[in-house]
Amino acid sequence: MTRARGAIFRSTPLRLTVRLIAVFSVSTALSFGAAYMIVERSADAVLREQVLQEFESYRLERRQRDLVEKVIEEITTVPPRTTIIDYRSDDGNRFSNVQGLPSLGGLSIVGASEIPLSEDQLADSYLVVEGRVGNGQLTLARNRDHVEDLFRIFGIVLVVNLLPTLAIGSVLGLWSARRARDRVEAIRGTLREMTGGNLEARVTGLDDAPDDIADIGRAVNRMAVAQAASIASLKQVSADIAHDLKTPIQRVSVLLSRLEEAGLSGEQAEIAARARKETTGIVKTFQSLLQIAQIEGGRIEERFTRMDLAEVVAGIVDVFEPTAEESGHKLVLVRDGPAPVTGERQLLGQVTANLIENALRHAPPGSRIDVKVGAKPRPFLQVTDDGPGIPKEERANVLKRHYRLERSRTTEGSGLGLALVSAIADLHGAKLELGDAGPGLSVTLTFPEA
Amino acid sequence: MGNPMKILVIEDDETTGAYITDGLRQEGHSVDYIDTGNDGLVQATVGQYDVIVVDRMLPGIDGLAVVKTLRGAGQKAPVLMLTALGGVEDRIEGLNAGADDYLVKPFAFGELSARINALGRRPPVSDEPTVLSARDLEMNLLTRKVTRGGQEIDLLPREFALLEHLLRRKGRVQTRTMLLESVWDIHFDPQTNVVETHISRLRAKVDKPFDTELIKTVRGSGYRIDVE
Ligand SMILES: Nc1ncnc2c1ncn2[C@@H]1O[C@H](COP(=O)(O)OP(=O)(O)O)[C@@H](O)[C@H]1O
Ligand SMILES: [Mg+2]
Repeated sequence: MTRARGAIFRSTPLRLTVRLIAVFSVSTALSFGAAYMIVERSADAVLREQVLQEFESYRLERRQRDLVEKVIEEITTVPPRTTIIDYRSDDGNRFSNVQGLPSLGGLSIVGASEIPLSEDQLADSYLVVEGRVGNGQLTLARNRDHVEDLFRIFGIVLVVNLLPTLAIGSVLGLWSARRARDRVEAIRGTLREMTGGNLEARVTGLDDAPDDIADIGRAVNRMAVAQAASIASLKQVSADIAHDLKTPIQRVSVLLSRLEEAGLSGEQAEIAARARKETTGIVKTFQSLLQIAQIEGGRIEERFTRMDLAEVVAGIVDVFEPTAEESGHKLVLVRDGPAPVTGERQLLGQVTANLIENALRHAPPGSRIDVKVGAKPRPFLQVTDDGPGIPKEERANVLKRHYRLERSRTTEGSGLGLALVSAIADLHGAKLELGDAGPGLSVTLTFPEA
Repeated sequence: MGNPMKILVIEDDETTGAYITDGLRQEGHSVDYIDTGNDGLVQATVGQYDVIVVDRMLPGIDGLAVVKTLRGAGQKAPVLMLTALGGVEDRIEGLNAGADDYLVKPFAFGELSARINALGRRPPVSDEPTVLSARDLEMNLLTRKVTRGGQEIDLLPREFALLEHLLRRKGRVQTRTMLLESVWDIHFDPQTNVVETHISRLRAKVDKPFDTELIKTVRGSGYRIDVE
């Protein structure tokens, strides 16, 4: 879960979506704010105009007495919620519909809190105009709640406008981010598999999506095909070389035999024998190389039959037992019922033999070699020894052709045994794992159900 | 050595062909040597051969086609097919086409000779024997008891099988690969000398305690129990 979340936050499209939504929200809010300020200002200007006109209506009263009468009439009929009226005459009289109103002078907009009256009798805010009228100071404060309301209306419009955009944006963004992440993951997975040696791996689920990530996926696939082709042609070249050398090698071998029959002197015979031994080594290496090529390129599956792997393995262990005993190894077969697999008997026998021979060869005398075969949970073969084992970082390497550990340089062998095991495992769809037997090596082949 | 046979060799590579032909002639066989598939096929149908050796890869009609055609025409002469280096898969094709045995090049002459002798005219087997013997050794196939000079020898099943195989082919060399193939059904080349160990184990029980050696080592070839 945390990994998935981490992955989604690392996803570029999601980051872009979030950023886009944020920018959009802020700019919408800003433009709404600007619009609001303009509208508010003009609404206040209109209001001020009205208040000034009203102010003028007081100024029209020529006589002080008529003026006071108008004021008194107004303060008795107009509630403070609509307009606050306050008149202080120079002779010290004060007429007001709000008792104890402080001087609002200088302020043009005043909140309800500034006015000593219970809130329910007041408007939220007022627009104030003050000035001299007759022989006194008149203050008119006009309800400007409709201007206040503008703020709420603007707020609602903003939210109504923004919310669906945000919702749709997030859903779309998340969806495309997920899609993109899946693609990216598919590409990443394919590359990982290819690095791990599976050159057949391809990015799937691209269809012909027209986006750039799909383009990258397709490019990866094209690259993979090209790489596979170049490796195949390399393999082909080595197979061709091997093929072309078959006949000469065979002739050399024949000629050496004739030489040996020609009645050589002691030293000559010795040299001929050494040459023959080298030739035998070359032949064995070629045989293995050509066999691997054949397994990788052949139609061997056509000959697959159902068989009991346990039988095959038991047969091979039986063949190797005296040899193991002779070299001081303890070879033990652990059989757990039949292990039905579909495969080629000789190749499965060869896998078993190669693994046992490796243990005999690379684990010192006195080592124990366990050969386990069974069907639980799936048909498997496991060869374990308690010798020096193979360091973790070398386990992928030893499966390559001709790769041998430094310490095995003086041991007999051509480094093709495990490459062959690997090719045969692949052919059978079996999983090959090299593990630590602490101490020692444990090689496990897990087969698909027969 | 062995009984002289009439052998046809069909092989396009001259060096190999000459080597095989010379070797077989030295062993006393009469050998005809042909270097193309077409001529070989004709020769095989007209001549009466005890064994035919045919290379898998030939110019023109290849070895497989030669064997198929011969078998199609009712020719029963045993065929040993030679397959090129690395041609592990060819074995199956060769056997399917009707060859009786196969040999991967390059081979030691002893290997070829042993296989040809194994393929050649065998004395008609009468009834399936219940007792196999060599000198003072007796193997009862029913009771699975082995005695030498009346003394019972206790053998493991795999030792019994190996001894039985050698006794049934008394007088003929059995090479290591032949033993691997027919006793253990192993058709690949193990890197270790497993056969030698099996033989020495068997000898330790069958030969060591007695004064004459039954299982002989034939230098450069393999093992044999002699007919007395
Ligand atoms: N059972 C084992 N214990 C320790 N090292 C091993 C074992 N099997 C294989 N190795 C190492 O892996 C290398 C490759 O093995 P392989 O391909 O069979 O070639 P070879 O046996 O001819 O050297 C060996 O050279 C050896 O260093
Ligand atoms: Mg090996």
